[in-house]
Amino acid sequence: MILLRLISWPYFRRHVLRTLLTTAGIVLGVAVFVGMHTANQSVLFAFSHTVDRIAGKTELQVTAAETGFDESVLEKVQSGSTVGVAVPVIEAVVDTRQLENGAQGNLLVLGIDMTGDRTLRDYELESGDDAVIDDPLVFLARPDSLIISKEFADRNHIASGGMLTLGTIEGDKPFTVRGIMKSSGLTSAFGGNLAIMDIYAAQKMFGRGQSFDRVDLAVKDGSTIADAQRELRALLGPGFDVDPPSGRGQQFEAMLSAYSMMVGVSSLFALFIGMFIIYNSFAIAVTQRRSEIGVLRALGATRGQILRLFLLESAVTGVIGSIGGLFFGILIAQGIAASIGALISDVYGVAQRADELATNPNLLALALGIGIVTSIVAAAIPARNAARVDPVQALQKGKYQVLSAGESRLRVVLAALLGVVSLGCLLFVSSRPIFYIGYFLAILAALLLTPLLALLMSRAIRPLLKWIRPVEGALAADSLIQAPRRTSASVAALMLSLALVVAFGGMARASYDSIIDWMNTALNPELFVMPTQNIVIRTVRFPPDMAPAIASVPGVERVQLVRDGRVTFRKTPIMLVAVDVMSLAETAHRDPIVGDAATMYRKTAAGEGLMVSENLAQLQNLKLGEILELPSPGGMIRLPIVGIVVDYSDQQGTILMDRKLFIKHWNDDSVNVFRVYVKKGVSVPDVRARILERFAGQRQVFVLTNNELKRYILKITDQWFSLTSVQITVAVLVAILGIVNTLTVSITDRRRELGVLRAVGGLHAQIRRTIWMEALSIGALGLVLGFLLGAINLYYVLQIVHHDIAGMRLDYVLPIGTAAAMVPTILAAAFIAALWPAESAVRGSLVEALEYE
Amino acid sequence: MITLDRVGKQFEGKRNVTALDTVSLSIPRGELVSIVGPSGSGKSTLLNLIGGLDRATTGDVIVDGERLGGLSDDALTRVRRDKIGFIFQFFNLLPTLTALENVGLPLHLRGWPRAKVDARARELLTLVQLDHRLTHLPDELSGGERQRVAIARALSVYPPILLADEPTGNLDSRTGEDILSLIRGLHDRLQSTVVIVTHDMKVAASCDRTITLRDGHIVEDARNVHAATTP
Repeated sequence: MILLRLISWPYFRRHVLRTLLTTAGIVLGVAVFVGMHTANQSVLFAFSHTVDRIAGKTELQVTAAETGFDESVLEKVQSGSTVGVAVPVIEAVVDTRQLENGAQGNLLVLGIDMTGDRTLRDYELESGDDAVIDDPLVFLARPDSLIISKEFADRNHIASGGMLTLGTIEGDKPFTVRGIMKSSGLTSAFGGNLAIMDIYAAQKMFGRGQSFDRVDLAVKDGSTIADAQRELRALLGPGFDVDPPSGRGQQFEAMLSAYSMMVGVSSLFALFIGMFIIYNSFAIAVTQRRSEIGVLRALGATRGQILRLFLLESAVTGVIGSIGGLFFGILIAQGIAASIGALISDVYGVAQRADELATNPNLLALALGIGIVTSIVAAAIPARNAARVDPVQALQKGKYQVLSAGESRLRVVLAALLGVVSLGCLLFVSSRPIFYIGYFLAILAALLLTPLLALLMSRAIRPLLKWIRPVEGALAADSLIQAPRRTSASVAALMLSLALVVAFGGMARASYDSIIDWMNTALNPELFVMPTQNIVIRTVRFPPDMAPAIASVPGVERVQLVRDGRVTFRKTPIMLVAVDVMSLAETAHRDPIVGDAATMYRKTAAGEGLMVSENLAQLQNLKLGEILELPSPGGMIRLPIVGIVVDYSDQQGTILMDRKLFIKHWNDDSVNVFRVYVKKGVSVPDVRARILERFAGQRQVFVLTNNELKRYILKITDQWFSLTSVQITVAVLVAILGIVNTLTVSITDRRRELGVLRAVGGLHAQIRRTIWMEALSIGALGLVLGFLLGAINLYYVLQIVHHDIAGMRLDYVLPIGTAAAMVPTILAAAFIAALWPAESAVRGSLVEALEYE
Repeated sequence: MITLDRVGKQFEGKRNVTALDTVSLSIPRGELVSIVGPSGSGKSTLLNLIGGLDRATTGDVIVDGERLGGLSDDALTRVRRDKIGFIFQFFNLLPTLTALENVGLPLHLRGWPRAKVDARARELLTLVQLDHRLTHLPDELSGGERQRVAIARALSVYPPILLADEPTGNLDSRTGEDILSLIRGLHDRLQSTVVIVTHDMKVAASCDRTITLRDGHIVEDARNVHAATTP
């Protein structure tokens, strides 16, 4: 400890900027980790919070995933001997047209049966007609009644008796606010934007026909929740989930698994980069403090004491950096949470409002621990090198930056060995863990090769730099060549960042290409008629009798009825799409990847088989001909897989079945979308106008053209890949931090050299140019190596996406656009990073610089 | 050529140190002057002020008609670049550049065309008898050879003033004598004003004039009558 005060503290004080940069590495890593995870948890928490608040005293919920079920199920549930109270519920997120701000305008409408619901939920009114609640018949008799939360009423200045317009399938409908609920647990659900409506009115308004979304129940006194669960599962069959309300949170989490994995990768990556910055700083510190270490050793300090000194320094840095990281992480979490909320709402159709940050003390403690451990681990190698310093050698003057030939050879041999093993893992072993080991070894080999490659490339670009600027260029290249350790750590950090950007960019590019291909074949109708503007919201549906009305519109050739919704398959929420398969085969024929097209369409249309998407087959390991067991409210469906097709309807996978089969098993003939084909030669905008005209004043209808729908899907895809921008931001920050660090050390090391340059006539602009060229060269080296490693990384990432995340087989296409965009971005970042060091290089005493040893 | 008018230099720190105290002197064009004195007497400070490497706290330093005190950093650099050549005790060659590149450095900084730089650098290295060491790095040269390269670099634009800070201080006595005679020879040929800071009384005695400093004051300013005969 005394050494820390006597030796380290003065060093830190003398090198304030470098100390700050070192700490910034950990701040960056911990902040991204905390920010991403806190935001993610906040969104999950908001969902659970909403579920929890709405659940009230509900002990169990009966659901059939997203599809809902027939009214008759309620009676079945109520007949259970263990069931105390069971009430039906419909949930719909609707646009209130109330506010300019879209997020605020969405309202969660809870359709309930006031007769029994008050046993489970408390609807205490602050103002309004208590008779609405006290006498359920009042509510029933006036289907335009609505009770809203105090929070929503206050925000929108609505008083009891006021009017509120909601978008329903019957068009925009005015509702009368009959009461305003007092603030309570219930009213805080969905960020306070909550309204209550009679369940039968909700069925009508949101196109639910004769179905409910779920049944909430409380267990009879004397029975346990487990008893009720067992009884109801037996009573209802496999198509139903009977779980406590918290189970919905788990389903929500399962749906977001791919997204959570990407968040995890991003935050781990940021920590890894932070580690690299720490390593770089400590490696440089050890090199620079060699003579100081030599003196300490000569005065009797043991190797252990030196090792502990450096580890202690890194631990202190880790503590300070981690605390800063926690602070910044929480600061950025709010912004990230808002974007994740919007993403989840748009991609998964589950509206979210993460108004409060869920700062989990365990997560913060974990981040603090990770930050400190990362810092110590990163400093371990430099600390060990410090402990090994030979006192006699250290006290001699000279440079110790140069890589010895032996060290270089060892690195190359090791890298080659790891490369061969990694290739072997890829080519000869099919096990997933071995694949991941191979991936790790490939990255490690690249890291080992970085110093040598950086050195060779610096030598190669010297003539070019010298040609551009004889003095500044040559000196910039020489600075890189002289100190490969100093250069290569920054280059390596940059390389890793860019490798990730390339992989993410490549994955995004391939996904876009595949999605566009799929859209062009599968989504080929000219028009899509939908009950909401948002294609992923399935809580509002049409009755099927609209189909003949649409078909009768002049210019319409064919109408296809589509019903889709999430169902639970092998405990995973996947997408079920029900459509008239024969009609689909005629208009949007897709050749299966596995199976025979004619058989596939014939059997699926006849209800004798199911089509599954390629990603579902991959993720659930499904084979052609295999009998699929799909639970439905009407019982377990057991049908063979008759074809595997490319389909990007859902990340977790899709099952396609014939509409007749769906109606039979779900007893639900409602429609999410009408696919409308227009006769050849007829103007599509005219037909669209006619459809809108046909339903004007009767139904809320949105008609999207083919291009609009495709643009919408691509917009959602854009949002999904918006995480790439986080990666790019981190890459740029890494570039700046790493390069500032390297240059700060470089100008200290070259103080005398720069002094000589000034003494013999170098103007400020010329000195600055030397530093700028050095920074740009580091950026350029990082770009070249980053793209090379990125090309390898992309291959691995596509394999992981195919086998472990989305099950999609994506084409290997290098993201030239992203790569091209990174060139000016990184070079600009490098230049910005060089501004301060360049200024400090031209300042300061020339005499001192010339005397500097 | 060089005029110092009541020049003072203080270094500020926890304790203020006066390195030079109201020093006035004048060195005419073409003179070979040595500055001597014990360590800490202010010799190097004086040389740095004349060379524009440092700025005086009080008084005026005038070099070839230019008052250095009022010049910006870049203007001061231009004075150094055009009028002054430096020779340092530790040579201060850039280790990654060859002898030819080191000598060409100030010329490149002035923006001369590459071919002209190359020709001049070769000419200068021939002048200091190092035409056989053009592509050698400083590490591959002996101490005397390094100082010759440094002298060639100082002469790159044939400046009217040459400032040398202990030019033989880091060399053995025989090499030191060689370097000294080279400087003297160049002075005779080029008629530059040469100011040499030295500890070595033999070196001082070989100059036309010797200025002795102590505690920041000039304590003696004498002409050396034997200068012309001293090797």
